[in-house]
Amino acid sequence: MSTKTLTVLFASAALTVLLGFPALRALHASEPGEALAPLAALLGADSQQRPVTLAEDDGHETEGGTVVRGESDDDEGACGDDDGNCAPAPAAPAPGGSVPPPQNGLFDNGAAPQVQVK
Amino acid sequence: MLKSLLAALALTTALSFPAVAMAKPVKLSAQLRDYGGNNAYLALYVTDKNNNYVGSLWLAGSRTRYFEHLAGWYNATGGDTSQINGLTGASVGSGRTLEITLDLKDALFDQGYKLHIDAAAENMRESPNDVVVPLTTAGAGTPVKGRRYISSFTYSM
Repeated sequence: MSTKTLTVLFASAALTVLLGFPALRALHASEPGEALAPLAALLGADSQQRPVTLAEDDGHETEGGTVVRGESDDDEGACGDDDGNCAPAPAAPAPGGSVPPPQNGLFDNGAAPQVQVK
Repeated sequence: MLKSLLAALALTTALSFPAVAMAKPVKLSAQLRDYGGNNAYLALYVTDKNNNYVGSLWLAGSRTRYFEHLAGWYNATGGDTSQINGLTGASVGSGRTLEITLDLKDALFDQGYKLHIDAAAENMRESPNDVVVPLTTAGAGTPVKGRRYISSFTYSM
Protein backbone atom coordinates (compact mmCIF):
# COMPACT_ATOMS: atom_id res chain seq x y z
CA MET A 1 0.00 0.00 0.00
CA SER A 2 1.42 3.36 -0.90
CA THR A 3 2.19 6.04 1.63
CA LYS A 4 -0.42 8.28 0.11
CA THR A 5 -3.16 5.73 0.57
CA LEU A 6 -2.24 5.12 4.15
CA THR A 7 -2.25 8.82 4.86
CA VAL A 8 -5.77 9.17 3.46
CA LEU A 9 -6.93 6.22 5.49
CA PHE A 10 -5.55 7.60 8.74
CA ALA A 11 -7.00 11.06 8.05
CA SER A 12 -10.47 9.74 7.39
CA ALA A 13 -10.34 7.56 10.48
CA ALA A 14 -9.31 10.50 12.60
CA LEU A 15 -12.09 12.61 11.16
CA THR A 16 -14.63 9.90 11.86
CA VAL A 17 -13.56 9.63 15.48
CA LEU A 18 -13.67 13.37 15.97
CA LEU A 19 -17.19 13.68 14.54
CA GLY A 20 -18.63 10.46 15.92
CA PHE A 21 -17.35 10.60 19.47
CA PRO A 22 -19.93 13.18 20.77
CA ALA A 23 -22.76 11.23 19.20
CA LEU A 24 -21.50 8.03 20.72
CA ARG A 25 -21.22 9.72 24.09
CA ALA A 26 -24.79 11.01 23.79
CA LEU A 27 -26.11 7.53 23.14
CA HIS A 28 -24.63 6.32 26.37
CA ALA A 29 -25.65 9.37 28.46
CA SER A 30 -26.84 8.41 31.97
CA GLU A 31 -28.96 11.52 32.67
CA PRO A 32 -32.03 12.21 30.53
CA GLY A 33 -31.18 15.85 30.12
CA GLU A 34 -27.60 15.21 29.36
CA ALA A 35 -28.49 13.82 25.95
CA LEU A 36 -30.40 16.95 25.10
CA ALA A 37 -27.81 19.39 26.32
CA PRO A 38 -25.89 19.54 23.05
CA LEU A 39 -29.16 19.85 21.13
CA ALA A 40 -30.43 22.54 23.48
CA ALA A 41 -27.20 24.42 23.05
CA LEU A 42 -27.62 24.25 19.29
CA LEU A 43 -31.24 25.51 19.48
CA GLY A 44 -30.41 28.31 21.88
CA ALA A 45 -32.83 27.26 24.65
CA ASP A 46 -33.16 29.46 27.71
CA SER A 47 -30.78 28.73 30.44
CA GLN A 48 -33.66 28.95 32.97
CA GLN A 49 -36.45 26.38 32.92
CA ARG A 50 -39.92 27.74 32.17
CA PRO A 51 -42.51 26.95 34.89
CA VAL A 52 -45.30 24.56 33.92
CA THR A 53 -48.61 26.37 33.51
CA LEU A 54 -51.65 24.39 34.62
CA ALA A 55 -54.94 24.86 32.86
CA GLU A 56 -56.82 27.68 34.46
CA ASP A 57 -59.80 26.86 36.59
CA ASP A 58 -63.04 27.73 34.84
CA GLY A 59 -64.36 29.39 37.97
CA HIS A 60 -67.33 27.06 38.53
CA GLU A 61 -68.22 26.47 42.11
CA THR A 62 -68.40 22.81 42.93
CA GLU A 63 -67.98 22.77 46.64
CA GLY A 64 -71.14 22.02 48.63
CA GLY A 65 -73.86 22.45 45.98
CA THR A 66 -75.04 21.97 42.42
CA VAL A 67 -74.21 24.74 39.99
CA VAL A 68 -76.89 25.85 37.56
CA ARG A 69 -75.42 25.46 34.07
CA GLY A 70 -76.34 28.05 31.52
CA GLU A 71 -77.55 27.32 28.02
CA SER A 72 -75.09 26.70 25.17
CA ASP A 73 -75.54 26.47 21.43
CA ASP A 74 -74.83 22.74 21.64
CA ASP A 75 -77.97 22.32 23.70
CA GLU A 76 -80.16 23.21 20.76
CA GLY A 77 -81.83 20.02 19.61
CA ALA A 78 -79.43 17.81 21.58
CA CYS A 79 -80.71 14.71 23.26
CA GLY A 80 -78.96 13.12 26.21
CA ASP A 81 -80.23 9.66 25.32
CA ASP A 82 -77.85 7.56 23.22
CA ASP A 83 -80.80 6.09 21.37
CA GLY A 84 -81.69 9.57 20.20
CA ASN A 85 -84.99 9.57 22.06
CA CYS A 86 -85.73 12.92 23.61
CA ALA A 87 -88.06 13.35 26.54
CA PRO A 88 -90.69 15.92 25.67
CA ALA A 89 -90.16 19.28 27.33
CA PRO A 90 -92.73 20.07 30.02
CA ALA A 91 -95.54 22.33 28.91
CA ALA A 92 -94.81 25.93 29.73
CA PRO A 93 -97.11 27.12 32.53
CA ALA A 94 -99.48 30.00 31.90
CA PRO A 95 -98.27 33.34 33.21
CA GLY A 96 -99.81 34.86 36.30
CA GLY A 97 -103.20 36.43 35.74
CA SER A 98 -103.85 34.74 32.40
CA VAL A 99 -105.75 31.81 33.94
CA PRO A 100 -107.15 31.18 37.43
CA PRO A 101 -104.68 29.66 39.91
CA PRO A 102 -104.79 25.88 40.44
CA GLN A 103 -107.37 24.49 42.85
CA ASN A 104 -104.78 23.50 45.44
CA GLY A 105 -106.63 24.64 48.53
CA LEU A 106 -104.39 27.64 49.09
CA PHE A 107 -106.29 30.28 47.17
CA ASP A 108 -109.72 31.50 47.91
CA ASN A 109 -111.81 33.17 45.26
CA GLY A 110 -109.44 32.77 42.34
CA ALA A 111 -108.48 36.43 42.17
CA ALA A 112 -105.50 37.04 39.91
CA PRO A 113 -102.21 37.47 41.69
CA GLN A 114 -100.72 40.95 41.67
CA VAL A 115 -97.00 41.03 41.10
CA GLN A 116 -94.41 43.74 41.14
CA VAL A 117 -90.64 43.67 40.89
CA LYS A 118 -88.98 46.76 42.33
CA MET B 1 -141.43 44.68 62.24
CA LEU B 2 -138.16 46.23 63.37
CA LYS B 3 -136.89 42.88 64.60
CA SER B 4 -137.68 41.32 61.26
CA LEU B 5 -135.85 44.07 59.45
CA LEU B 6 -132.81 43.73 61.68
CA ALA B 7 -132.81 39.97 61.23
CA ALA B 8 -133.02 40.36 57.48
CA LEU B 9 -130.21 42.92 57.52
CA ALA B 10 -127.96 40.61 59.57
CA LEU B 11 -128.67 37.71 57.24
CA THR B 12 -127.95 39.66 54.09
CA THR B 13 -124.77 41.05 55.63
CA ALA B 14 -123.57 37.58 56.51
CA LEU B 15 -124.36 36.32 53.03
CA SER B 16 -122.76 39.30 51.32
CA PHE B 17 -119.41 39.15 53.03
CA PRO B 18 -118.50 35.48 53.39
CA ALA B 19 -115.40 35.88 51.20
CA VAL B 20 -114.07 38.63 53.43
CA ALA B 21 -114.53 36.44 56.50
CA MET B 22 -112.67 33.42 54.96
CA ALA B 23 -109.80 34.95 52.98
CA LYS B 24 -107.54 37.89 52.95
CA PRO B 25 -105.04 39.38 50.55
CA VAL B 26 -101.57 38.45 51.71
CA LYS B 27 -98.54 40.34 50.45
CA LEU B 28 -95.32 38.36 50.06
CA SER B 29 -92.16 40.39 49.70
CA ALA B 30 -88.76 38.87 48.94
CA GLN B 31 -85.77 41.18 48.76
CA LEU B 32 -82.77 39.66 47.04
CA ARG B 33 -79.18 40.23 48.04
CA ASP B 34 -76.88 42.06 45.69
CA TYR B 35 -75.18 38.83 44.68
CA GLY B 36 -74.06 40.26 41.36
CA GLY B 37 -75.11 37.37 39.11
CA ASN B 38 -77.85 36.55 36.62
CA ASN B 39 -81.53 36.86 37.48
CA ALA B 40 -82.73 34.39 40.10
CA TYR B 41 -85.52 31.87 39.71
CA LEU B 42 -87.70 31.58 42.80
CA ALA B 43 -90.32 28.97 43.71
CA LEU B 44 -92.74 29.73 46.56
CA TYR B 45 -94.74 26.80 47.87
CA VAL B 46 -96.44 25.52 51.00
CA THR B 47 -96.02 22.38 53.08
CA ASP B 48 -98.21 21.15 55.93
CA LYS B 49 -97.21 20.35 59.52
CA ASN B 50 -95.90 16.96 58.39
CA ASN B 51 -93.73 18.65 55.76
CA ASN B 52 -95.87 17.32 52.92
CA TYR B 53 -96.19 19.47 49.85
CA VAL B 54 -99.58 21.18 49.64
CA GLY B 55 -99.35 23.56 46.69
CA SER B 56 -97.47 26.31 44.93
CA LEU B 57 -97.94 30.01 45.36
CA TRP B 58 -95.67 31.48 42.70
CA LEU B 59 -92.72 30.71 40.44
CA ALA B 60 -90.56 33.56 39.23
CA GLY B 61 -88.85 32.52 36.00
CA SER B 62 -90.08 31.48 32.57
CA ARG B 63 -87.77 28.76 31.21
CA THR B 64 -88.96 25.31 32.20
CA ARG B 65 -85.48 23.83 31.71
CA TYR B 66 -84.32 25.67 34.84
CA PHE B 67 -87.19 24.53 37.05
CA GLU B 68 -85.28 21.42 38.10
CA HIS B 69 -82.78 23.68 39.87
CA LEU B 70 -85.52 24.76 42.26
CA ALA B 71 -84.77 21.45 43.89
CA GLY B 72 -87.24 21.37 46.79
CA TRP B 73 -90.16 22.38 44.59
CA TYR B 74 -89.07 20.09 41.78
CA ASN B 75 -88.70 17.06 44.06
CA ALA B 76 -92.14 17.69 45.54
CA THR B 77 -93.97 18.21 42.24
CA GLY B 78 -91.89 16.21 39.77
CA GLY B 79 -91.73 19.39 37.75
CA ASP B 80 -95.47 19.30 37.07
CA THR B 81 -96.09 22.69 35.52
CA SER B 82 -99.86 22.46 36.08
CA GLN B 83 -99.01 23.23 39.72
CA ILE B 84 -97.98 26.73 38.69
CA ASN B 85 -100.47 27.43 35.91
CA GLY B 86 -101.38 31.07 36.22
CA LEU B 87 -98.70 31.52 38.88
CA THR B 88 -95.58 32.43 36.94
CA GLY B 89 -93.79 35.62 36.15
CA ALA B 90 -90.36 36.99 35.33
CA SER B 91 -87.22 36.01 37.17
CA VAL B 92 -85.87 38.51 39.69
CA GLY B 93 -82.65 40.47 39.33
CA SER B 94 -79.87 40.70 41.85
CA GLY B 95 -80.70 43.28 44.52
CA ARG B 96 -84.34 43.58 43.40
CA THR B 97 -87.51 42.93 45.40
CA LEU B 98 -90.37 40.66 44.35
CA GLU B 99 -93.79 41.57 45.74
CA ILE B 100 -96.77 39.29 45.22
CA THR B 101 -100.27 39.81 46.57
CA LEU B 102 -102.39 36.68 46.73
CA ASP B 103 -105.84 35.89 48.06
CA LEU B 104 -104.97 33.13 50.49
CA LYS B 105 -107.34 31.21 52.72
CA ASP B 106 -107.37 32.05 56.41
CA ALA B 107 -107.02 28.36 57.16
CA LEU B 108 -103.38 28.50 56.11
CA PHE B 109 -102.40 30.50 59.14
CA ASP B 110 -101.73 29.14 62.61
CA GLN B 111 -102.27 25.58 61.41
CA GLY B 112 -98.68 24.39 61.05
CA TYR B 113 -98.28 25.33 57.39
CA LYS B 114 -94.91 26.59 56.21
CA LEU B 115 -93.96 28.70 53.24
CA HIS B 116 -90.79 27.66 51.38
CA ILE B 117 -88.77 29.60 48.85
CA ASP B 118 -86.26 27.82 46.62
CA ALA B 119 -83.83 29.96 44.65
CA ALA B 120 -81.30 29.43 41.87
CA ALA B 121 -79.40 31.53 39.36
CA GLU B 122 -77.41 30.61 36.28
CA ASN B 123 -73.77 29.66 36.96
CA MET B 124 -74.39 29.85 40.68
CA ARG B 125 -75.39 27.33 43.31
CA GLU B 126 -78.91 26.10 43.83
CA SER B 127 -80.46 27.13 47.12
CA PRO B 128 -83.40 24.95 48.10
CA ASN B 129 -85.24 26.26 51.16
CA ASP B 130 -83.49 29.59 50.92
CA VAL B 131 -86.34 30.71 53.17
CA VAL B 132 -88.65 28.56 55.29
CA VAL B 133 -91.17 30.40 57.46
CA PRO B 134 -94.21 29.20 59.42
CA LEU B 135 -97.44 30.90 58.37
CA THR B 136 -98.84 32.48 61.52
CA THR B 137 -100.77 35.65 62.23
CA ALA B 138 -98.14 36.56 64.83
CA GLY B 139 -95.37 36.22 62.27
CA ALA B 140 -96.93 38.63 59.79
CA GLY B 141 -94.68 41.61 59.16
CA THR B 142 -91.61 39.99 60.76
CA PRO B 143 -88.62 39.90 58.35
CA VAL B 144 -86.92 36.55 57.89
CA LYS B 145 -83.37 36.26 56.60
CA GLY B 146 -82.68 33.93 53.66
CA ARG B 147 -79.77 31.49 53.38
CA ARG B 148 -78.15 32.64 50.14
CA TYR B 149 -80.06 34.70 47.56
CA ILE B 150 -82.75 36.26 49.72
CA SER B 151 -81.74 39.04 52.01
CA SER B 152 -85.11 39.42 53.68
CA PHE B 153 -88.61 37.96 53.33
CA THR B 154 -91.83 39.17 54.91
CA TYR B 155 -95.49 38.40 54.56
CA SER B 156 -98.17 40.84 55.63
CA MET B 157 -101.96 40.76 55.88
